[in-house]
Amino acid sequence: MPVSLVLSIFIILFLTIVQTVIPYLVKRTVVFGVTIPEQYIREQKLNQYRKQYSFITFIVAVLLLIGFVIWALTNQLNEEQIVIVGTFIEFGIIFISLSLYFYYHGKIKQLKQKSKWTEKLKQVKVTDLSVRTQDEMLPWYAYLLPMIITIGLIIYTVMNYNLLPENIPTHWGITGEPDAFTKKTPFSAVQMPGFLLLMQIMFVGIHVATKNSGIKLSATNAHLSKRRQLGMRKYTSWLLFFVVFAMTILFTFFQLTTIHPNVFDGTLLQLIIPFGFLVLILLSTILFAVKVGRSDKEDIVVEGDITDIDEDRYWKGGLWYFNKNDPSIFVEKRFGVGYTLNFANPIGYLIVFLPLAIIILVSFFLN
Amino acid sequence: MIQIEPDSEIPIYTQLTNQIIEDIARGNIKPGDSLPSVRSFAADLGVNMHTVNKSYHELEKKGIIQIVPKSGAVIAKHEKVDLTTYEKLKGVMRPQIAEAIVSGMKDEEIHQLVNTIISELKDDQTNQ
Repeated sequence: MPVSLVLSIFIILFLTIVQTVIPYLVKRTVVFGVTIPEQYIREQKLNQYRKQYSFITFIVAVLLLIGFVIWALTNQLNEEQIVIVGTFIEFGIIFISLSLYFYYHGKIKQLKQKSKWTEKLKQVKVTDLSVRTQDEMLPWYAYLLPMIITIGLIIYTVMNYNLLPENIPTHWGITGEPDAFTKKTPFSAVQMPGFLLLMQIMFVGIHVATKNSGIKLSATNAHLSKRRQLGMRKYTSWLLFFVVFAMTILFTFFQLTTIHPNVFDGTLLQLIIPFGFLVLILLSTILFAVKVGRSDKEDIVVEGDITDIDEDRYWKGGLWYFNKNDPSIFVEKRFGVGYTLNFANPIGYLIVFLPLAIIILVSFFLN
Repeated sequence: MIQIEPDSEIPIYTQLTNQIIEDIARGNIKPGDSLPSVRSFAADLGVNMHTVNKSYHELEKKGIIQIVPKSGAVIAKHEKVDLTTYEKLKGVMRPQIAEAIVSGMKDEEIHQLVNTIISELKDDQTNQ
């Protein structure tokens, strides 16, 4: 079986699992992007919708996967064709699950309005003055280590400039072989570690923004929501750091291989790059989603007639958050596990899109 | 716990001030502890930073917190009440007690009410 097929199957399977289980891993009081008061989250209808969504998503995705594998095995195809069709199928699965999401989002919005769930309850906001002292995110300076490695790599490249080949690789295929090159110049020689450094700065920005963003507690399940929020912050910082570290190793490997072509021959690194890295990152993402997703799923008794403030009006389509009053840059996703931007806060755009824009502009116009 | 009702007629910053004072009275946070930074507190509650800022300044004016550069809003230590605070509290309570008398409450009932409030705060303290 060609590598690209194995890789595509793996990514499609990953997507299938993730898209199927999302309704069971999201924050307990949000169903398909609609806030449901704790008092009503065990309603039969809600459970039924979740099941229908997961069932349809899973069946369609598996059928697509089977069709893809049969097509790929019965036709003589090159790696590129497989990757392109695989990508189409990945987008197809996302498109289908998103369509289903919007369908059920609409249904639940109607149901909520009809049943007047929030009208009978007093809406409040809560927080705990000591919650900040219990935050266990990694310190931002942990990122200095990979950044020092990158700066070291740039210095090493400059010192060994004459060892570099006349054509510098700028792109690598799925097997880790370079497949696109550019002319050697002092700029192109350090371009890749430069991009790496830029991405590391972006990750530090994301980390700091996450740290400054709100720890949102729920009035009716303060204990569970605190566990979920603190857990999500801690594991997000671990995952971010892990991704940065993996990226640093990957880029360092490519850069050193460019300078000394055979330096990693026969080592473990050569075997697991880059496929192993992708697998590791996808697996740790699943681990993260399950760990955080399950942290607030517990039966509790709700006392009183209060509920959390209904923030649905800030969530466009239940997916995009616009709240000018909230200084948070990142907020917990409503459909998925992790964070999404507060689109009303311009700093968020700066942190996420500026470094990417620089990388894209530089690689298009300066090469 | 701090609990805010955004739909209430009482402005949010006043609610915040009252809730923070109650939290200190309950012993959830102690003199010498810091309140969260304005930014993170506003983010945690999802309210405007000005609202939190206003509340912190009100607390500072009351002498309940001290805003120290770099360490933030620190809860002040009070061994015993000073005269100005005493007079101010007296002024605030006076109309309330007058209203209680007018509403038909007996002296003992008013004493009882004060005791109930004190023990409610203390009870929460032992429950923590």
